[in-house]
Amino acid sequence: MIERWALVSGLLGDLETYDLIQRDLKKTRGVTSLFILGDLIGPKRNCDALLDRLKNPHRSDLKPDCIYGWWEEQLLAERGFRGERKADALRLSQGEDAVSALLNTVNPSHLNWLASLQFGFIELDCALIHGSSSDVGDNLTSETSPLILLDRLTRLNVNRLFTARSTKQFHLELTGGGINSQVKDLNGKREQQQEVPKRSVIGIGAGAHYTIYDVGSDKTHFLTASSQTNTKGMGFV
Amino acid sequence: MNHAIISCLHANLPATEAVLNDIDRQGIDTITCLGDLVGYGPQPNEVVELIRKRDIATCQGCWDEDIIDGLNACECSYPSQLAERRGHLAHQWTDDQLTDENKSFLASLPTSLRRDRLLFVHGSPNSQHEYLLPDMDAFAALERVDTAGADILFCGHTHQPYVRELRDGSIRVRLQNADHDCDQGEELTLPMRKIVNAGSVGEPRHGSTNATYVIHNDATDEVEIKEVPYDVGRTCQAIVEAGLPKVFAWRLSHGFEFAEQAEDASHVCER
Ligand SMILES: [Zn+2]
Ligand SMILES: [Zn+2]
Repeated sequence: MIERWALVSGLLGDLETYDLIQRDLKKTRGVTSLFILGDLIGPKRNCDALLDRLKNPHRSDLKPDCIYGWWEEQLLAERGFRGERKADALRLSQGEDAVSALLNTVNPSHLNWLASLQFGFIELDCALIHGSSSDVGDNLTSETSPLILLDRLTRLNVNRLFTARSTKQFHLELTGGGINSQVKDLNGKREQQQEVPKRSVIGIGAGAHYTIYDVGSDKTHFLTASSQTNTKGMGFV
Repeated sequence: MNHAIISCLHANLPATEAVLNDIDRQGIDTITCLGDLVGYGPQPNEVVELIRKRDIATCQGCWDEDIIDGLNACECSYPSQLAERRGHLAHQWTDDQLTDENKSFLASLPTSLRRDRLLFVHGSPNSQHEYLLPDMDAFAALERVDTAGADILFCGHTHQPYVRELRDGSIRVRLQNADHDCDQGEELTLPMRKIVNAGSVGEPRHGSTNATYVIHNDATDEVEIKEVPYDVGRTCQAIVEAGLPKVFAWRLSHGFEFAEQAEDASHVCER
């Protein structure tokens, strides 16, 4: 079967948006997997209903495979699931109030399930991670230096990295180039040439903005879930 | 001006003295040390005190960090359980021997030192535990230097000295956009950068028993890898007398070790 993935992130507890996406996916032909790349939770609203739905999907739902994101990392750290580390990144960027707001949005009964989520998935030659292998908060966009993007791909030895942290939708392909390297040691000198491998980094968006990826043709479709019945983006095959 | 860079002294006093004498003989008075003053070897206090007495600018190594913070490196730092047990033994012994004063000196060391376009670190700018091996992916190597904002990165930790020049690099990219497929790609020209690994004074792993270090000329950017013989037997005897694993002495007297480092050199543990 030809695989077609749906990639979602940054729901931040928004069950209505998730429901819209599920409705969209029902109307989209051939979606085989739904990956949710973290930030299931957020500080602005109660997240329990969405977490319940993700843990216990409706019978008609495409079953989600979830990993954790930056907000889960903050919550889990603050709740003592990360050794001595606390929600330092959140505290530093948004202050103490933001930390207590986050704690209030998730019922502690969900913590063990959140803590069981993986950092990322490797599917075929693709990595699916909230940020990158460097850090869950790694903010990669199409503006990020290609040298850094290539480094993140190299670390995982994958051809495609799907990332969500920036909330942007983009599909940046590395199409060519190379580098010369000379190593001198006590045994002498050696030259080495390396070419840029054909690889890409894909930003999948956040919230209602999600991505469909056709594995066979390596094509991404950037969609937006909407409450209108005449959903845009249904035209593609 | 010539300046010298030393790394990985590993509590080996005869090797450290021999290297410092070699540097002094050449009239070089700027020395930078890239850490790992202790670990494996039998004279941790003596080596730390010598570096302190000479007032040598030093950054913190992986062993220095672990002595202060406790062994929190994940098992990925060791290739085998045997190596891990030996590492733990040496860690415990070193921890028992070091005076509080010398421990607080190690704790006070910075993780990096910067002088203009030169950056000095132990492992990599990311971590004291990351190995920058001479044959690692060239783009990833360049990324380490460039992201850190340096022209030349001096590192140690691998115990193998080398100079690597990365040049004529470029990366072409093309954006597949949501709104419009723009076909015109873009090409990024990458800067020329250098990585200089200072090898190891006290625990060389480059194939000979000699201590190694490097000299850099900051006007011409030329780098010379230096080898210095020292009294290996004296250190080996002290290792055995201290009750440290005999394999450490055997390794020193053979000038290599079975690459006791992580299989995946680029792996950085996320503790
Ligand atoms: Zn070392
Ligand atoms: Zn080290």
